[in-house]
Amino acid sequence: MQSILKQPLLWFFVIGSLLFAVDSFFSENRNEIYVSAALQDRLGLLWETQTGLTASTEELDSLVNNWIQEEVLYQEALRLGLDQEDSIIRRRLVQKLNFIAESDPQPEPEEAGLEFFYQSSLGNYTLPTRYSFRQLYFTQRSEALTALEQIAGGQPANEFGETSMLSSNYAYRSALDLNATLGSGFVEQLQDIETSRWQGPIESGFGSHLIFLTNIHPQEVTPFSAIQEQVLLDYRQYQQENARQLYLDNLLNEYEIMVEAR
Amino acid sequence: MLKFFKLEMLSIFLILLVACSDVEDLELAMSDEVLEINVIPDATMPSSSAAMTESAEYNSERNAYFGDLHVHTMYSFDAFIFGTTSSPSDAYTFAKGGAITHPAGFEMKLDIPLDFYGVSDHAFYLGVLREMANPNSEISRHEIAAGMASLGDANDRGRKFAEVLGFLRSSRAQEINDPAIGKTAWDDIVATANRHNDPGNFTAFIAYEYTTTATDGGNLHRNVIFRGNVAPELPFSRIDSTNPEDLWNWMDQIRSAGIESLAIPHNSNGSNGNMFMLTDWLGNPLDGAYAEQRMRNEPLVEITQVKGTSDTHPALSPNDEWADFEIMPFQVASTRPSQPEGSYVREAYLNGIKMQEELGLNPYKFGVIGSSDTHNATYAGDEDDYWSKVGLRDSDGVKRGSVPLPDPRAGGDPYADTYFNTWGASGLAGVWAEENTRESIYDSFRRKETFGTTGPRMKVRFFAGYDLPSLEEEDFLGKSYAGGVAMGSDLLGDVNQQLSFIAWVARDANSAPLQRLQIVKGWMENGEPQEIVYDVACSDGGVVDPNSHRCPDNGAQVNLTDCRISSDVGAAELKTMWQDPDYDPSENAFYYVRALENPTCRWSTWDAIRAGVEPRSDMAATIQERVWSSPIWITPIQ
Repeated sequence: MQSILKQPLLWFFVIGSLLFAVDSFFSENRNEIYVSAALQDRLGLLWETQTGLTASTEELDSLVNNWIQEEVLYQEALRLGLDQEDSIIRRRLVQKLNFIAESDPQPEPEEAGLEFFYQSSLGNYTLPTRYSFRQLYFTQRSEALTALEQIAGGQPANEFGETSMLSSNYAYRSALDLNATLGSGFVEQLQDIETSRWQGPIESGFGSHLIFLTNIHPQEVTPFSAIQEQVLLDYRQYQQENARQLYLDNLLNEYEIMVEAR
Repeated sequence: MLKFFKLEMLSIFLILLVACSDVEDLELAMSDEVLEINVIPDATMPSSSAAMTESAEYNSERNAYFGDLHVHTMYSFDAFIFGTTSSPSDAYTFAKGGAITHPAGFEMKLDIPLDFYGVSDHAFYLGVLREMANPNSEISRHEIAAGMASLGDANDRGRKFAEVLGFLRSSRAQEINDPAIGKTAWDDIVATANRHNDPGNFTAFIAYEYTTTATDGGNLHRNVIFRGNVAPELPFSRIDSTNPEDLWNWMDQIRSAGIESLAIPHNSNGSNGNMFMLTDWLGNPLDGAYAEQRMRNEPLVEITQVKGTSDTHPALSPNDEWADFEIMPFQVASTRPSQPEGSYVREAYLNGIKMQEELGLNPYKFGVIGSSDTHNATYAGDEDDYWSKVGLRDSDGVKRGSVPLPDPRAGGDPYADTYFNTWGASGLAGVWAEENTRESIYDSFRRKETFGTTGPRMKVRFFAGYDLPSLEEEDFLGKSYAGGVAMGSDLLGDVNQQLSFIAWVARDANSAPLQRLQIVKGWMENGEPQEIVYDVACSDGGVVDPNSHRCPDNGAQVNLTDCRISSDVGAAELKTMWQDPDYDPSENAFYYVRALENPTCRWSTWDAIRAGVEPRSDMAATIQERVWSSPIWITPIQ
């Protein structure tokens, strides 16, 4: 036995195979990082757009080096499972998957389908009551009253009124909009005004106004034809949300979910 | 971690690019890692052809629009400590007329929605503090995160704020800088602004705050506002550099890649003289390159907000009777005094024209806006419905020092030991723009055709020229634009023609009437800057005294027991054609409009009345709400 152990040839084989085993063990388990020519080109291009200069050989070497170091750390972090149980990474991955689900190409809607979508969400395409009128502005109520008499007597209305930053015409304005411009309570006074003749005065935050109310436009559903483009945008958003939901529902089907009783 | 996400983002781009047939878009996206451009897709964005269409209210003579460009949400490190859990989406919904619940439980809602709005969270440590309160996050295990998930009362939050602020200013701050958290928050901010933007009805700007300080701690904060729907991958913050000149370099860089932005400094009043220095960051004298770069990137300054007004200071403008207005005397977030010199807008304008005369450069030729700086994701509120701005820390009269404590402090002071009593219900931005779209409103920022108000929606027009129409002329506005220049502009001095100004202000129909219209003038005389305030139009038929340049007192009263105001005095509008009696076309000069409302109760008086106590004697009981226009600069022909 001892003589066998003294055989150099044997030792040569034993040590040799050990070295071989160790080497092959490590080479098989060494992760490869392959820095493709395309990746190097991209790193160079990014450098160029950043600095306006073409990367020199040394700079490119350093860019590649940095990338490699980063990649190694990244791979190591993954190997250590640092991406696990991290709520930020978890949220980020969910966000990315949602992006993918949403960008799943959707069929162009047929006009009939679009119109059905419009009908089922009419509330979004309904305008509130709006008012259209001309107005004459007076700082003094007494002057408004005098002007009203003279207009009733046949004088042209455009001879009256003071200039102001207010407009002489308001077309299709909602109650919220008018009360913001003229002061709260203004629209309420329009309720008692008849159309198509000068009336008033009514009071605003600015003073007194004679009003020639041309129309009260009742709450109105915008016709499909007039708003088709908007409906299409809304529909696309709906599709996107729908696609995300559908994607999630399909995934949920593939999971057995058990919630422990509290 | 940062790099990791950059790589991840690249793969998202590649996915997005599949849907992107435009070669130019592709090239823009390819350069992402350098300039970190992040195109966040949004289905609700109108197609470019839709954006080109003029809206129903398109007006070539421009409409007034009102907004707030300074709003913090749950993503700001301090807002989160103050108890704010409202998101950017909640904030935009509020601006459009929706309601938000204050952390203290009451409802905040605008009577009239705003026209435009920008959520501007602190870029540094964006979203980080909120993440610390999430027990599943890595960062919740950091020592500074202790107790973040269970912050208690106002004092507790005040202590935590001081502790975090101290930590962020220390050399260890980097330990909690996690760009991955910031990235997630920023993506949400960008996508939310794009989603809420509604051309023709409501403008939502992508924005953030660059929160830097001078080496002595003086405030140098700016809000960065983006014109379009494309934003950089991450905002440039004080972690990148505390030097604002580096911010401008970055803005220049992204501009050349197609991302247009501007920065709006705020709280110059708390800058301890640093905001409008006469030297650059390194202490060198200002030169033409500095002036040009600063004006290219910072055409506007926020003249008023909750933390005080920065028009001027009584020490700088001893002859202006209205200079002592909403003065916040401290450096921001401290009780150290802030030096007035170098901290106020009017003095900066004066120094600017001095440099113009001496060196041929003016780094301080900026327009003005107001905004709130709310940290409640809302707005400042009004005097009679004041929300202040730091959540649970200043949510009622006792906390903000307008109502006595239940028990006096040691030493006998009946009021809380706080600086919130130097704050106010202020800050709204006004613009003249053709229509309510990002492009139109942003371009008014660039033109400086802007004005700032202390809250009420007063509208002010201001023109200067040699061929202005008379006040009653037909097509008055068209002729004013054609025959003169509007606020924010330059006009060349001309010895051969008569220079005239048109100043015109309209009240807010839901606030108090107007008392007087003023023109503030600054000019160079014998090498020294001078200033004077002219009353140019008075309410109630008053005539300006030609010697004192003052309107007679219109006698407006405020009843301090119930805040009723005189109902029969004050004007709805004030409008005048004005010539400067001392105009010299060979001088560098600037002119801007200031208009004052009749006095009304200040927020502190409302607080006291509601609590059934006397208003605090060392605080102003009333306020004259006001509006400032951007200036018009007169430059002599050389």
